[in-house]
Amino acid sequence: MDESVYKVTVARDLEDLIPVFIKNRHKELDILRVALAAADFEQLRQLGHRMKGVGNSYGFDHVSTLGKYIEDGARSGDRAALDARIREYAEYLAKVQIAYE
Amino acid sequence: MTRSVGPSVRVLIIDDDPDLRSLLARYIKQRWADAAVDEFDPLSQAFPERSFPLGSYQAVILDYMLGRGDGLEWLQKLKARPDCPKILFLTGAGNEIIAVRAMKAGADDYQRKQELTREKLLASLRELMAPVTDTTSPELAARKEGHSLGARIRIPGIKVLRLIGEGGMARVYLASREGDDEPLVVKILRREVLSNRTALERFMEEYSLVEHIQSRHVVRIYGHGNVDEHAYLVMEFFEGGDLNRRLEGKALAPAEALRIFRELMFALGEIHEKGILHRDLKPQNLMFREDGTLAILDFGIAKQIDATTDRTNAGEILGTPRYMSPEQVQGRVLDLRTDIYSAGVLLYQMLTGGHLFGGDSAMEVALHHLNTPPPSLPGELEPYQRLLDKLLEKDRDARFRNADEVIGFLTRKFGVGSTDVTQKL
Repeated sequence: MDESVYKVTVARDLEDLIPVFIKNRHKELDILRVALAAADFEQLRQLGHRMKGVGNSYGFDHVSTLGKYIEDGARSGDRAALDARIREYAEYLAKVQIAYE
Repeated sequence: MTRSVGPSVRVLIIDDDPDLRSLLARYIKQRWADAAVDEFDPLSQAFPERSFPLGSYQAVILDYMLGRGDGLEWLQKLKARPDCPKILFLTGAGNEIIAVRAMKAGADDYQRKQELTREKLLASLRELMAPVTDTTSPELAARKEGHSLGARIRIPGIKVLRLIGEGGMARVYLASREGDDEPLVVKILRREVLSNRTALERFMEEYSLVEHIQSRHVVRIYGHGNVDEHAYLVMEFFEGGDLNRRLEGKALAPAEALRIFRELMFALGEIHEKGILHRDLKPQNLMFREDGTLAILDFGIAKQIDATTDRTNAGEILGTPRYMSPEQVQGRVLDLRTDIYSAGVLLYQMLTGGHLFGGDSAMEVALHHLNTPPPSLPGELEPYQRLLDKLLEKDRDARFRNADEVIGFLTRKFGVGSTDVTQKL
């Protein structure tokens, strides 16, 4: 993946919101994994939709992109695609670098 | 739920995402320091009962996906209450039919959640919460006038829903087709332009030019006419927005820039084949459908190549200086190579994220097109230099002669097109 995806710039005045935002993304990742294991596509769809809505708002465009893929994958019941995207999400959260300006 | 006392602004946010609620609340409190912003989580709270003090808020921000509930249903129920304040409805991008239904259900404004910036949120709330009589800001007054016109105008078979844009010539509204809620756009010519016969004729000519083009690369126009002394056009709504929004001042990946540019060449090939010059290509006039296909709009100053009458007066310059060809700046007779040059300027912008020429005034920018050699592309974009040089030749005789030549060059040099879904119809 293009390394620039991992670099996110956030407005300085939102800095204090970011730890909670990131913590919630990790929680989300855990729930995504459980939902996939249970083949709960409705929950996967809802989580993907939520990621899609919130990622861009904070400047984490790739969260929104992955959210859209997860939402689409859940709609079509594509477990392999969902598994790949959830792994990608985990990698993204592990590598993301945040700069404040 | 916590609430402060005596605030100047009271807003209720109903959304299932705590991060989004926090972010919106932060934006509001930054703008109105003593604002009271209450957060309502529909995952943990049932629909507000009758005793809920809905009327104490000046605005409600309501998401359309509420986890367990449907935002549209909540909207209808909230609006059924006599004390319901103004509601800003959040929709998903690429799903404008939800916006149409929300506006028909009584929402006072809508915003696409994925594109909701601080500025858009605050502008919308400011407008919703401003007293009807507030005309302190000329911009706000103009918007109110635009909303008022949209609410008054009656176009057969069409419901005008919301002012979504304002240009020098016309106001632009989200609308829907009665019966199936198909999202549409209605352009209404500004009253002050009505007295300018040439401008009026240009506006209406857009319809007569475009109605002859059956192409997926050109905006579909569904009707036009005059109602209550207002000239209007009804046209296709584009879920994907325009190139300006896609660029956001940044470069696109070269492959994406080339894909869009190639689509543009197909579009130009088709309109030129019909004998039409666009003459005003710019990012705001290149629109994307949900599937990513591109269409050109705003043929307001387009011209039929063999037209016996041209509404351009001798020496009159039409177009946007940043994208004008040298011959356009000189006010010379134009041919299809003018659009090829403008497309080259757009390609430069897509590849680099910057404008081909800058300047303190429109005249300065225009003169650069006449006299200044285009800047060289940075090293990593060097493979596109020859293409750009030939698009941006100041001498049009040295430029690509038409869109087909450009497409041929792209195919030979970059191999694009063999697996691309874009095919000339």
